[in-house]
Amino acid sequence: MAGVLSGLKRLYLTIYNWTVFVGWLQVFFLAVKTLKESGHQHVYDAVEKPLLLAQSAAILEIIHGLVGLVRSPVSATLPQIGSRLYVAWGILWSFPEVRTHVLVSSLVISWSITEIIRYSFFGTKEAFGSAPSWLLWLRYSTFLLLYPTGITSEVGLIYNALPFIKESAKYSVLMPNKWNFSFDYYYVAFVVLGVYVPGSPHMYTYMLGQRKKALSKSKKE
Amino acid sequence: MKVTVVTRSGRELVKGGLDLDDSATVADLQEAIHKRTKRYYPSRQRLTLPLPPGSKEKPTILHYKKSLKEYIGESTNELTVVFKDLGLQVAYSTLFFWEYLGPLILYPLFYFFNVYQFFGYKGKRVIHPVQTYALYYWCFHYFKRIMETFFVHRFSHATSPLSNVFRNCAYYWSFGSYIAYYVNHPLYTPVSDLQVKIGFGIGLACQLANFYCHILLRKLRPADGSGGYQIPRGFLFNIVTCANYTTEIYQWLGFNIAMQTVAGYVFMVVAAAIMTNWALAKHRRLRKLFDGKDGRPKYPRRWVILPPFL
Repeated sequence: MAGVLSGLKRLYLTIYNWTVFVGWLQVFFLAVKTLKESGHQHVYDAVEKPLLLAQSAAILEIIHGLVGLVRSPVSATLPQIGSRLYVAWGILWSFPEVRTHVLVSSLVISWSITEIIRYSFFGTKEAFGSAPSWLLWLRYSTFLLLYPTGITSEVGLIYNALPFIKESAKYSVLMPNKWNFSFDYYYVAFVVLGVYVPGSPHMYTYMLGQRKKALSKSKKE
Repeated sequence: MKVTVVTRSGRELVKGGLDLDDSATVADLQEAIHKRTKRYYPSRQRLTLPLPPGSKEKPTILHYKKSLKEYIGESTNELTVVFKDLGLQVAYSTLFFWEYLGPLILYPLFYFFNVYQFFGYKGKRVIHPVQTYALYYWCFHYFKRIMETFFVHRFSHATSPLSNVFRNCAYYWSFGSYIAYYVNHPLYTPVSDLQVKIGFGIGLACQLANFYCHILLRKLRPADGSGGYQIPRGFLFNIVTCANYTTEIYQWLGFNIAMQTVAGYVFMVVAAAIMTNWALAKHRRLRKLFDGKDGRPKYPRRWVILPPFL
């Protein structure tokens, strides 16, 4: 019985990882193609569908962690996925004015390369029990460059969206109302930017620690 | 007797161990450790009996009033204790004072001073009578808490880690400001007069009940600060283990019925969740302690914190 369940789990995770892999592969190729043919202003429109789909699928990964399907701690995956969904849906999808910014290209390329490597790494591990050492190396080394480029793009885009968030008062609830409640999406953006200050070094050093563990373990084997 | 003191990693904390009287208490041991280690005063020390490696059991914590002999039996005259540094400690009364002082000071700032201009509100601010009642109610509540801290409560532990000061103050001061912002807002919308009266009525009645609960709990413990646990009896404790938390939660409900802010309700729900955690632990502890065996009374069937749910 246990064998069947663990086999099913492996099958599900293999399919999940490779499916999302294909999504990010599409994002990467469409982004580069559009960049070359039409320019950075059109990149978002070209990648929107696979980007939002692939990024939103990551919500499943939080569930995987919660039910114990995967070992990753929810405390590490939640901030990562949270910031991705916030930028993808809460900034780019909600405020079309920032879609033409050049940082969208650097964002989308940073994210897609990272995810292509990450999902193929996990997909290979689930399907074959282990991943080739060059893929392991990529998974634990490309972040050294792509985290800074990705984070800079995220922060830059949030900052650029600020005037549009303020002017539109989108997603905001204003006083007076009978529940004496208010919610200002503009200030939320500031809070998010504030979280990036301790959050980015925290995530980066976490990955550095993971890199050390993963690459030294593979040397021993 | 010879006492060996080791850290959890196995290192000897006190080289060569300590030589104590056969009749020495744990408190004597703690004093001796403090003399040799200088920075580890007794309330920072957690001393436990060693467990076999890999054991999943919880270690036995040495109680300061007990004699050392109680932990080793008659056949031997040597004792090994495992030491853990609990970090800088503050008195519980200190912790409570600072966490309650925040709401007491910060809330009136929103009432008396025109802070809302910094949030972009121009023009005159008209204070509604119910906002004044809320100020009195809120300040009375936290003043009561501070008075109870110094004159009523008898704590189970003398101290709490210093890090809790920062954590607890962040919680109380943030929520205090969050609620104060909305209740004193220039665009605050009051509810009906009847609802205000009902809300504050419930709130005040529950604060009185809560105070009486605290008096009853005080009477369960001796004045010498030795703590300990007894079965609470009388008043609402006959039906619910943590009647003090129950009355506290309903007191906030009264305030929220009167003032009707989402901020106030959010705070109440979070506070109730925290208190429920404590209540479950306390209920469990009392049922374990008072199991009806060896002449001990059996803990009666009672609600934990919020009848008829839990």
